[in-house]
Amino acid sequence: MPSATLLGQALISGVLAGGMYGLLALGLSLSWGLLRLVNLSHFALAFLAAYLTYELGTTYHVAPWWSVLLIVPSMFVIGLAQHWIFVRFKVNELGSLLITFSFAVMLEVGIQLYWTADYRRFETHYATWSLKAGPFYIPVLELILCLVAGVLAWGTWLWLRKTYVGKALRASAEDADIAAAYGVDHRKLAYLLSGVGAAYAGVAGTFIALIATLAPAQIWAWLGVVFAVVIIGRLGNPLGALAAGMLIGASESIAMAILSPAWAPVVSFSVLIAILLWDPEWS
Amino acid sequence: MLLEIRNLHVGYGDAPAVWDVSIDVDAGEIVSVIGPNGAGKTTLINAIAGMLRARQGQLRFDGADMTRVRPHGFCERGIALVPEGRRLFTKMTVEENLELGCYLPRPRAARAQSLERVYELFPILRQKRAQAAGELSGGQQQMVAIGRALMAQPRIVLFDEPSLGLAPTIVDDMFDIIVRVRDGGAAVLLVEQNVIKALSVADRAYVLEQGRIVATGLPDELMKQSHIREAYLGV
Repeated sequence: MPSATLLGQALISGVLAGGMYGLLALGLSLSWGLLRLVNLSHFALAFLAAYLTYELGTTYHVAPWWSVLLIVPSMFVIGLAQHWIFVRFKVNELGSLLITFSFAVMLEVGIQLYWTADYRRFETHYATWSLKAGPFYIPVLELILCLVAGVLAWGTWLWLRKTYVGKALRASAEDADIAAAYGVDHRKLAYLLSGVGAAYAGVAGTFIALIATLAPAQIWAWLGVVFAVVIIGRLGNPLGALAAGMLIGASESIAMAILSPAWAPVVSFSVLIAILLWDPEWS
Repeated sequence: MLLEIRNLHVGYGDAPAVWDVSIDVDAGEIVSVIGPNGAGKTTLINAIAGMLRARQGQLRFDGADMTRVRPHGFCERGIALVPEGRRLFTKMTVEENLELGCYLPRPRAARAQSLERVYELFPILRQKRAQAAGELSGGQQQMVAIGRALMAQPRIVLFDEPSLGLAPTIVDDMFDIIVRVRDGGAAVLLVEQNVIKALSVADRAYVLEQGRIVATGLPDELMKQSHIREAYLGV
């Protein structure tokens, strides 16, 4: 059994790492829960944003807090374009899996053609900064990531709860015909939401560039665990997505500390299965 | 004439469900369409609400052609639906359901007054306003569905089987409410299987059977027709 300090450190690192799961899950959860579109290319978009951050940072020496201002709106536009394809071909839930899988593969190939399959690392002098709280270390970048994820999740939650657009989106998710009978133009709102989801992938990508080592095949690395997070957090629930991300991050980290690192991939789906056994109607 | 329907044909895919239907509703009127299960009543009312597209014929509201208006444009012109089975947004609160009724800019500007009016009409909803609509009883859910329609400040309210699945005492209340909706200034088009009730509140009525209008007239006249007495009243 590891020491209390080690467990505490594992918990802190896990929760902070889970912020990334939550941030990636946020956009996925919105389009799946409210539009019934499962966007597998969400991860590829995040990595495209990460590579762009890397490129702007290393080639043009643009700091990531400036490049994010360019990348996020670009991703929003890509989200709109993607949604145009969904509308054009009347894509349903299952169809969205197939078509976004092909988007993801195309993006992966495109990234590989331009940036090659070599590992890329965006070196910054602040990547290793950390705060010390008692015996524990808190990495600053991941703390900022969690704060940003928290602000986005909370803001999105308020947007869905408190604004007419948010209420209309939730209503349409349940009964689109009746929402339309009360004047909701679901098509317009769906475009907006697809754009917002892709923009969130852009935010996640900026942090991926700073925290992780980039390689084209990495776009698939988080697929399984983030899917589990989306379902555990309940579809279309932004705060749930973030909380579930942190829960899974912490569980993985504790499992790694107590058992062995090889156990980490088992954790997310074990938690998911346990929840579904407890309440089959979950999500 | 507020609502003018001429020779309307509506169907699902290749199967027509409503043939050659002509109906008028004037401002301040309650008009009932009665008929058995499967006669096409819901199809007809959904076409008037914009949820189904007519394949042929005229649908005019306040003089304007509605056949090319997109589904979300019907409410804007003053048509509000109380659908069969209520179709509330069950996971949203009672108040959020009502707010969806005033989604469009014009009714949204009057949100506070409209909410007050709905809560005066249905005091129980004020108590339950933060509760998920799906948790309410059938009668209360019907109140939310009616309230949602009133929030839209409609010029006509379309009621689709409002008494279906409700306890008899609540059914009487529902018909009282329908009269009050009309007295509040909106015309009413009511589609019902409960023939006696539907005729008792109506100014005029139509009988729809197998997708066609087979009789029309004042409720008292229809009540006297032997076909209707046999088919619907069992006497």
